[in-house]
Amino acid sequence: MMNKALYNFYIVDRSYREMYRKEFDRNLAEEFHSADLSDEERLIRRFELLCEKEVAHIHDFEKIVMLRTNKNIPECFTDGEWAERRKNHYIHENGYVSNLSPNYAKVIEKGLLHFRKDANEYGVRAIDACLSVCDRYLEEARKQDRQDLVKIFSQIPRYGARNFREALQFFRIIHFFLWLEGDYHNTVGRFDQYMYPYFIADIERGVYTKETALDLIEDFFISFNKDSDLYVGVQQGDNGQSMVLGGTDKDGNDTYNMLSELCLIASEELKLIDPKINLRVSKNTPLSVFEQCTKLTRAGLGFPQYSNDDVVIPALIKYGYAPEDAINYVVAACWEFIIPGVGNDIANIGALNFPAVIDRAIREAIGSAKGFNELLERTRSLIFEECDKIRASIHDVLVAPSHFMDILRDGKKYNNFGIHGSGIASAADALVAVKKYVFDEGSVTPERLISALDSNFESDAELLHKLRFEAPKMGHADPEVDKLAGFIINTFADALDGKTNCLGGCYRAGSGTAMYYLWHARELGATADGRFASEPFGTNFSPNLFAKIPGPISVIESFTANDMTRNMNGGPLTLEFASSIFNNEESMRKVAELIKYFIMRGGHQLQLNAVNLDTMKAAQKNPELYRNLVVRIWGWSAYFVELDREFQNHVMLRQEYTV
Amino acid sequence: MKATIFDIKEFALNDGEGIRTTVFFKGCPLRCAWCHNPEGLSPAPELYIKKNGCRNCGLCKKDCRHPECKPFGRCIHICPMDLVSVAGREWNVNELYDMLMRGKAIYESTGGGVTFSGGEPLMQSEFLFEILEMLRGKVHTAIETSGFASENVFKKIASACDFVIMDIKFISGELHKKYTGCSNEKILDNAKWLIRSNIPHLFRTPLIPTITDTEDNLRAISDFIGEEKIELLKYNTLASAKYASVGRVFDLNISSEEVSIPNVSFFKNATVRK
Repeated sequence: MMNKALYNFYIVDRSYREMYRKEFDRNLAEEFHSADLSDEERLIRRFELLCEKEVAHIHDFEKIVMLRTNKNIPECFTDGEWAERRKNHYIHENGYVSNLSPNYAKVIEKGLLHFRKDANEYGVRAIDACLSVCDRYLEEARKQDRQDLVKIFSQIPRYGARNFREALQFFRIIHFFLWLEGDYHNTVGRFDQYMYPYFIADIERGVYTKETALDLIEDFFISFNKDSDLYVGVQQGDNGQSMVLGGTDKDGNDTYNMLSELCLIASEELKLIDPKINLRVSKNTPLSVFEQCTKLTRAGLGFPQYSNDDVVIPALIKYGYAPEDAINYVVAACWEFIIPGVGNDIANIGALNFPAVIDRAIREAIGSAKGFNELLERTRSLIFEECDKIRASIHDVLVAPSHFMDILRDGKKYNNFGIHGSGIASAADALVAVKKYVFDEGSVTPERLISALDSNFESDAELLHKLRFEAPKMGHADPEVDKLAGFIINTFADALDGKTNCLGGCYRAGSGTAMYYLWHARELGATADGRFASEPFGTNFSPNLFAKIPGPISVIESFTANDMTRNMNGGPLTLEFASSIFNNEESMRKVAELIKYFIMRGGHQLQLNAVNLDTMKAAQKNPELYRNLVVRIWGWSAYFVELDREFQNHVMLRQEYTV
Repeated sequence: MKATIFDIKEFALNDGEGIRTTVFFKGCPLRCAWCHNPEGLSPAPELYIKKNGCRNCGLCKKDCRHPECKPFGRCIHICPMDLVSVAGREWNVNELYDMLMRGKAIYESTGGGVTFSGGEPLMQSEFLFEILEMLRGKVHTAIETSGFASENVFKKIASACDFVIMDIKFISGELHKKYTGCSNEKILDNAKWLIRSNIPHLFRTPLIPTITDTEDNLRAISDFIGEEKIELLKYNTLASAKYASVGRVFDLNISSEEVSIPNVSFFKNATVRK
């Protein structure tokens, strides 16, 4: 049974946000600047100051405690300093650590004191600051005579967790302090694996039944939502609290367990946007797991997202990850593959705008090219040129220190950079249209095409129709378009292959877009796939928004037609289903079978949505009535009414399969 | 050989076991008042104009040079919203075969296959027979039929496919005539034959409020089929959506509040599909 009091307090009422949180109003950046402090000192001092201010709040209805009372995290550097830093360095996003997965397993097992012995000065100070806050919770627990919490906080986080509840609370503590340090998109990792020993021991000792364990897990899941409004990304909800479940072990066995199942059920019952559920699957995953997952999909949260171990693990090994690390992969905030504990990758450092490159190649080569192959050659050299430009722009990467995160990591073994590729369908569709109409048929002259594009199709409605609605598209399972998509994808991989980045790592080409499906599209004029100027691309690895698609099977076939093992930064195919198809068991099983088909065909990553267009329309009209409506954006889910209109509209335009 | 087909739907969830592709043949001898595929009624290709989103730009009404647009008086290659199209096109049997065989892997892995529906697929029975023969032993095949066909045609097609889904709408000949425009004599004869045959089959009755879902009618159907398996389909009020697109008028006025599931407990082997 869901804990109603807890749910109401944190999810419905939310007045604690006003009640408990205080602005941190000192201008630390100026203070630090005047004192001429080192980066290391600034970060640790900020952490200490924030920890000093944290107030312990415990409510009688909650088992997993800790919520943030600092409303904001002040800057460590002045604007002038940032400008200076940017002059000589590549600063990724806001300059702090993000998108990493610490070694939760080890920390929860050993306790923080274990790490204090060998920590440097800053590590010791970070641990001490963290313990001082936890001791305040211990004190508060004593005051309220919460013997359960007194026991827990007397043990953790100083020492390792002894049982499931302590392990969950320990996780909450770690996660809490990572955010407080200013690290962001702090992921959850392989939760059902590192928690399983504690979970199963308690189940076997009879501490919990499956039902009472579920209650505790739900209590724990709600804790992800206590402070998440303070974890803002591009939009509210983009916060990287991604949990990974299942996966194959080194012997190829499926590790999906009872805890994985309970996590799926908890997410389905709570219908909250955090934690974001990801499933690692393979050809050995039984259909029943996909059926359980489909129930979660039906809940409409856009979870789970699937990653295919059969494809991802060998691809990571190809990039140079040790097999024992590759097998342990998780996803970063959205879908980028990272390694817990040892990874220091920046998985979203840049993005290539495929449609822009193709558009330039078409414009440069179409008049003079003797055949379509010359256009392809031009495309190839432009992709290389653009990748070289992206690489050249990323030098002397400077990331602010993260003392607390560093304690939780075993080092920085992998320093690879991930580059997204946006608009693959728009790009491949444009290429195939030019091949078919200009080069093969000769039914459209180069001049006519270019002048139509330049006028945003104002001058040529018939050509618009042909390009937009009659031409072959990715998602039609048309071998010719899919082959051209393969050409683009492989060229992208070739252009980054063997190149070393400024941290000594490699580059990984990806199939994700992140927000570039809007950002890249905004700055691009009309394109030969019949796309209007500024019209958004599909999200991630998905068809054009306006493509007429025969159905999800053709889409799966198109998007699994190419070998992706050299483009494994991550980025899923997205399928949108009308929520009405989930209304009976038989249809649910067929959806599960469809997912399995995708995996069997070697698809690398997949994400399904149950959407209801009418509900979204109604929510735009009366947002106050739809506060709980959740939709998937690109690698995360959000409350529909909290999104900017542009994001809302894109969700509403996506291909939806009704049956 | 050619057939006129108005839609081919992938991942059809309600047309038999497993993951299936459904082929919709154009043309139907019946005129069921509740039909939700009005573009399947006329056997000939026809103009299909979606109204929603039309900006009245008039481009489709201007003269064009496409011979394929001539019979329809509208240009089908110009609408910026793609609202103007033709429902129904001719398919060559080999072309259809190749298209359907592409799904062989997923049909096999899920126990699915191909379903021929409509319209009334038996109206183009020669083509249907040929494609069924081509697919025999390779892909699981099913038909969805009203059963309105001569005994010979019905037997020949039913024997050539792996599964028959057949509607029983009314037992009363008078009501059948009233609401579908046709007699149900041949239908009931074919159903009797199907029951006696060893061809796997499933009966279906659409539950149309106050029309087919009356206790009298449902009891009569139950008595007629006895132990046979039947699916009772809940009426979907979206049925009217496409009528205006093909210039037809939808006469049935049923609001979603009127749709409920009647008592069906007397059926021996029924499931209700919502």
